[in-house]
Amino acid sequence: MAEAERRDRVFLVVVDDSPERQIALRYACLRVRHSGGRVALLRVVEPAEMTEWAGVGAMLEEERREDAEKLLSGLAAEVQEITGGLPILLIREGDPRDELLALLEEDPRISILVLAAAAAGTGPGPLIQALVGRHGARMRVPMTIVPGGLSEQDMQRVTI
Amino acid sequence: MQVYLPIAEMSVDAFLLLGIGFGVGWLSGMFGVGGGFLLTPLLILIGIPAPVAVASGANQTVGASVSGLIAQWRRGNVDLRMGGVLLVGGFAGSFLGVQVFAWLRRQGQVDLAVAIFYVVVLGSVGALMVRESVRAILHRRKGKVGRRLHAHFWMHGLPFKMRFRKSRLYISVIPPVLVGFGIGILSAIMGVGGGFMLVPAMIYLLGMPTSVVIGTSLFQVVFVAANVTLLQAVTTGSVDIVLTLLLLIGGVAGAQFGAAMGTRLRGEETRALLGAMVLAVAGSLLWGLLRTPESLYVIGPLP
Repeated sequence: MAEAERRDRVFLVVVDDSPERQIALRYACLRVRHSGGRVALLRVVEPAEMTEWAGVGAMLEEERREDAEKLLSGLAAEVQEITGGLPILLIREGDPRDELLALLEEDPRISILVLAAAAAGTGPGPLIQALVGRHGARMRVPMTIVPGGLSEQDMQRVTI
Repeated sequence: MQVYLPIAEMSVDAFLLLGIGFGVGWLSGMFGVGGGFLLTPLLILIGIPAPVAVASGANQTVGASVSGLIAQWRRGNVDLRMGGVLLVGGFAGSFLGVQVFAWLRRQGQVDLAVAIFYVVVLGSVGALMVRESVRAILHRRKGKVGRRLHAHFWMHGLPFKMRFRKSRLYISVIPPVLVGFGIGILSAIMGVGGGFMLVPAMIYLLGMPTSVVIGTSLFQVVFVAANVTLLQAVTTGSVDIVLTLLLLIGGVAGAQFGAAMGTRLRGEETRALLGAMVLAVAGSLLWGLLRTPESLYVIGPLP
């Protein structure tokens, strides 16, 4: 029973354009490989800008979605290589922070949110800052923050 | 509060101008448009001479588009090389357009020409917008998207090919230069940025990916409209600093409100509304051309 429950847990990784997303993804994959579960990938696309033409707006939305699908399917192959299972792919449209919080409220499958802090710069990144700060009360699942500068050796050690 | 406009040579209520600037800025923020195509006809309707109205429209477009350009630039959505090629055509077109404008003014026909341009261009653009939106509303459930045609036609056989890395294109520079040229002429004669024609031309004619289209078109619009304002000031001396200042103050404030509302407003209804507004402006200008003037004979000095 306990074993089955462990396999059902889902690590959610937010796929943004930051360099540290790779760290978060690697951490989630290794955790799954070592102790079971699944990876979920969330990509939040920008909503289409208002334009004068409906056709242009629809095409804008369509191409953004296609780009997101291409990106996620590329990462999905990577996840499958490490964990042996296919990840859950989620695409939402809107503001990244709001959509992430809305997803956590709506989707009961998600068990843990995995974020990586920026390795350099003045802060851990806008998403972490928002989730541990002003919007912390809206979190529905525990959150793991992976240091952006974690070496591969340490990564292996802490994911056992 | 009446203010005297030194270049337009007339007195207008300052609050009316602030209000017009605010309204147009609000709409341009909400719909993501430059607003020149609404401002110029509105100014003509309250009695501002066409040359001054056109120059103010171009100036307002610069003001409304700069912040959008900066936002797109930060996200890396501007294809500089394509923008540069478009700009070469745009500068040439706006230069020619201003010369034509100055010539029309010497002939005393500039008000008529601007009005006809507006009726034709806005009439067809507005009609297309409304038709497209109505069709989209009717077919909403089907979720069909107009695909672009990946067809090769004569355009792709033209010489002077150039690689546009960000747009993932390898095409001749002639079509973008011609597109920029046409928009430049429109911009000079109508006092608009021309984004409403530039964006579809970039997607359907040049085949650019939509991700860079908005940013690159804003790039072209900002510089061409700025060039038009400058050329109008130098060539026809028709930029009224009091007028443009009042309009810009209203416009900047209005754009903030509009942009905040625009993110919540979406969909076809707003777009149909914009199309209806464009049609109404074209209609009122058409009525101005057709109705019998209050005074049939006017004596006045030639400009």
